[in-house]
Amino acid sequence: MEKSGTSTRLTGAVQDLTSELVSALRSGGPFRLAHGVPGADDGIALAAVRVMGADAVLPSVLHDVPPGSDDLAVFSRAVHAYPPPAGASPASAWSHWAMERALRTLDGSADTPPDGVPGRGTEPRAAWLEDASWQSLTHQLAVLAPLAVPGADSAVARVARGRPVDVARGFVRAVRRRDWLQAAGAGRWLVLLDGVPETLGLETGLAFVAQMGGDDPRVALQVEAAQLMRIGVRV
Amino acid sequence: MSSTEFLSAELTEVTVDVEAALDPTEADGSYRDSRECAALALQAATGTLLLSPPTPRPKKG
Repeated sequence: MEKSGTSTRLTGAVQDLTSELVSALRSGGPFRLAHGVPGADDGIALAAVRVMGADAVLPSVLHDVPPGSDDLAVFSRAVHAYPPPAGASPASAWSHWAMERALRTLDGSADTPPDGVPGRGTEPRAAWLEDASWQSLTHQLAVLAPLAVPGADSAVARVARGRPVDVARGFVRAVRRRDWLQAAGAGRWLVLLDGVPETLGLETGLAFVAQMGGDDPRVALQVEAAQLMRIGVRV
Repeated sequence: MSSTEFLSAELTEVTVDVEAALDPTEADGSYRDSRECAALALQAATGTLLLSPPTPRPKKG
């Protein structure tokens, strides 16, 4: 099926933003979201930030560098411009929840509900994930990889912590299927989990995924995040 | 179509695209090619082989 005009532009904007984020993670230097999103007033640019989710501020989180106020403003605009619509998928709801949490953490209002409204910011339900097969679990966790950050608890993270062997199996399956993006996302979760079988060879596996799929900036971003978390950046 | 209607339509279209990007279906799997096998072989040389094939068993009889 032919992609719509906005879909093509959105895909390109996401790729560009992802490449900027990978560079920032690798260099350890500051990442200016407001600079990395040319024309941040453009709906497509904000939509790209929304698609990236909480990973749009990942360099600030992993390198413990406070974002600039203009960067937070761009991030906040994306959060508010694209809330999950009625009937949104759990992945969309969780992605938005993670963005709100990241926003509150970075702007120092972590103890305040979003927009000051009691009840806002409540975790979405995770029942759909608890009953998922290990294959589906791995797919969903890879989609929700922006939730995999050190010290960030959530119902999704708790499900992952309870099923490390299933995630490890999913990682191997993704590698064997050459689904590098899923493998990279699953690998990022595995870095944070206890009880991962040592026979998995996670470090080597991540290097392999980077070698095979690293041309895709989305894969590179997940692998870079995993490797930074593995060596204990910030934590 | 007025400019307001145009912007509204585009926002709706972008929202649909965002939701689709946030909830992708699982990619179809594909399997090893010679490039991947070469990479595996290189890693085997360093003693860090991942996903090695099973050791051939001796034939009976």
